[in-house]
Amino acid sequence: MTTSRPDTIFVKDLEKKFGQFVAVDRISFSVKKGEIFGFLGPNGSGKSTTIRMLCGILTPTSGQGFVAGHDIYTEPEKIKQSIGYMSQKFSLYEDLTPFENIRFYLGVYKIPPDQWEERMEWTIDTARLSDVRNRLTRDLPPGWRQRLALGCALLHKPDILFLDEPTSGVDPLTRRHFWEFIGQLAGNGMTVFATTHYMDEAHNCERIVMINEGKIVAAGSPSEIISETIPGNPDADLKDAFIKLMSRSNN
Amino acid sequence: MNPIKIQAIARKEFYHLIRDFRSLYLAFAIPLFLILLFGYALSLDVDNIKTVAMDHDKTSLSRDLIRKLDASSYFNVIRHLSNTKEVTRYLEHGRATMAIVIPPGWTKNIKADREAPIQILLDGSDPNFASISLGYITKFVGEYNNNLLFDFLDRKSLEKIKPPVEGQIRVWFNENLESRNFILPGIIAIIIMIVGAMLTSLVIAREYENGTMETIFSLPIGAGEFLTGKAIPYFFIGLADVLIAVLMGQALFGIIMKSSFWLMVLASSIYLFVALSLGLLISIITKSQLVANQYAVLVTYLPSLLLSDFVFPIVNMPKVLQLITYIVPARYYIDILNGLYLRNLGMAHQWPSYTALIAMFIILAFMNLLALKREGM
Repeated sequence: MTTSRPDTIFVKDLEKKFGQFVAVDRISFSVKKGEIFGFLGPNGSGKSTTIRMLCGILTPTSGQGFVAGHDIYTEPEKIKQSIGYMSQKFSLYEDLTPFENIRFYLGVYKIPPDQWEERMEWTIDTARLSDVRNRLTRDLPPGWRQRLALGCALLHKPDILFLDEPTSGVDPLTRRHFWEFIGQLAGNGMTVFATTHYMDEAHNCERIVMINEGKIVAAGSPSEIISETIPGNPDADLKDAFIKLMSRSNN
Repeated sequence: MNPIKIQAIARKEFYHLIRDFRSLYLAFAIPLFLILLFGYALSLDVDNIKTVAMDHDKTSLSRDLIRKLDASSYFNVIRHLSNTKEVTRYLEHGRATMAIVIPPGWTKNIKADREAPIQILLDGSDPNFASISLGYITKFVGEYNNNLLFDFLDRKSLEKIKPPVEGQIRVWFNENLESRNFILPGIIAIIIMIVGAMLTSLVIAREYENGTMETIFSLPIGAGEFLTGKAIPYFFIGLADVLIAVLMGQALFGIIMKSSFWLMVLASSIYLFVALSLGLLISIITKSQLVANQYAVLVTYLPSLLLSDFVFPIVNMPKVLQLITYIVPARYYIDILNGLYLRNLGMAHQWPSYTALIAMFIILAFMNLLALKREGM
């Protein structure tokens, strides 16, 4: 089924060097439209560098990359307009209210002013924040702030949603709601590109790529990765596979 | 450059500003404080020189000399003393900066047409003050001599002799030689630098510290849009501060601008652009509010105070320092303001200073764009 869908992210031999240090070592992968794609790796694996290149923030050293049909070398501005990005570090301004944060995003995403009110209501509703829209964001609980951040990343109806460790510091129930919502988005055709440190969360992804020391060490569905990495052990989970893969390539 | 994006950034920045008590305090308390401090405390004028007198002669003439000295606005005879030890003590303790000693038999000597010296002691520990005092007292003694001479000629019913050369001195531009008229442009220049550069030096560093800069990079915002939006609220605060300074100068010190108000607004805007770009550049490079603040003091406040012709005249500086002053923006702005305030000079005379400021702004803006591009914007 996946083969019938077009690629929204396509990367071939993508490389990024910082001086002599190779942060990302000629990786290739692609992500289908409407797919929930997991990109996993320990800190310093080249994960963040890859995301930064895909979002048009960093220019690669060599290789090819297309995101939402735009070249990552020449069209970073168009890429930024077609994606939503929710960062592990808090992407909201805590001294602004939800209303003011949303207003900021409406402006920078060039939403036509006649649609502002409708988009504002949609975002407030999606994030379920109508009662607190005029409270300072820093006074909201982490789960609420996360919903607001997600709402802001979605209000321009992006083709692709990048989630960079979206659930750190959030309780398990909120995380489950979060992933249910992500599932709905993907069902409506939005591509989701997610990184996470929680392996139970990674099970929400249809396909996973694992990266370590700048190289891809595993790719496939969660169950494929588990069975290939730890064959013949039905109790093994993704966490075991992750630890095995990461320690193997370190040696 | 999309106006909607710029407006969104400017609005967000404005919210940060009004919710950050410290920034607002810096923006408005500093100008008020500096104007009051510099305007009242830093007077470079010398008057009411504290003088003690010791009159050993005790004649009507010697008393007349001391009375005339006291009546002059430059001198203030605070004490009549009777012995040398006391005079020394007054000067030593700094309770007086000048002493005048009239020896016994002084009037008798004058009447007998002999030399009649009086002793004048000056505290030279502040050379600037002492040399100005020296000028005043020399002039005073000269005038006193002339008066005596004319009285003498009058009494003998002789015709007054005219001195062969008479200097007719007129002071232009600052007729009363009031240093406040000269200080106000310097204060305005420093205030704008502090408000413009110090406040903006925090704004991008704050985004780096809070992690929101990463999100900014992921948004479709151009470097020019980002910088413009960031600068706009501070531009208006800077202009408001200029107006506060001008109005306070007028209300408190009676300093009235002779030239066009709008030319002053134009010059201040250009100078503000320079200050804002400098602050933003510091912010991008340091990425830390604390370091940025220290850099801002070092790079903006001190040169504006010391190397701008404000406190220390540039012509008296060593050649190397003189060359450095060419890259101090305050130097050009103070030059323009002096022209506007004191000389009624317009663009026709002052275009080189305007050009220098515009050139600085263009270079700094370019460096800002490059710095942000390197970061990934």
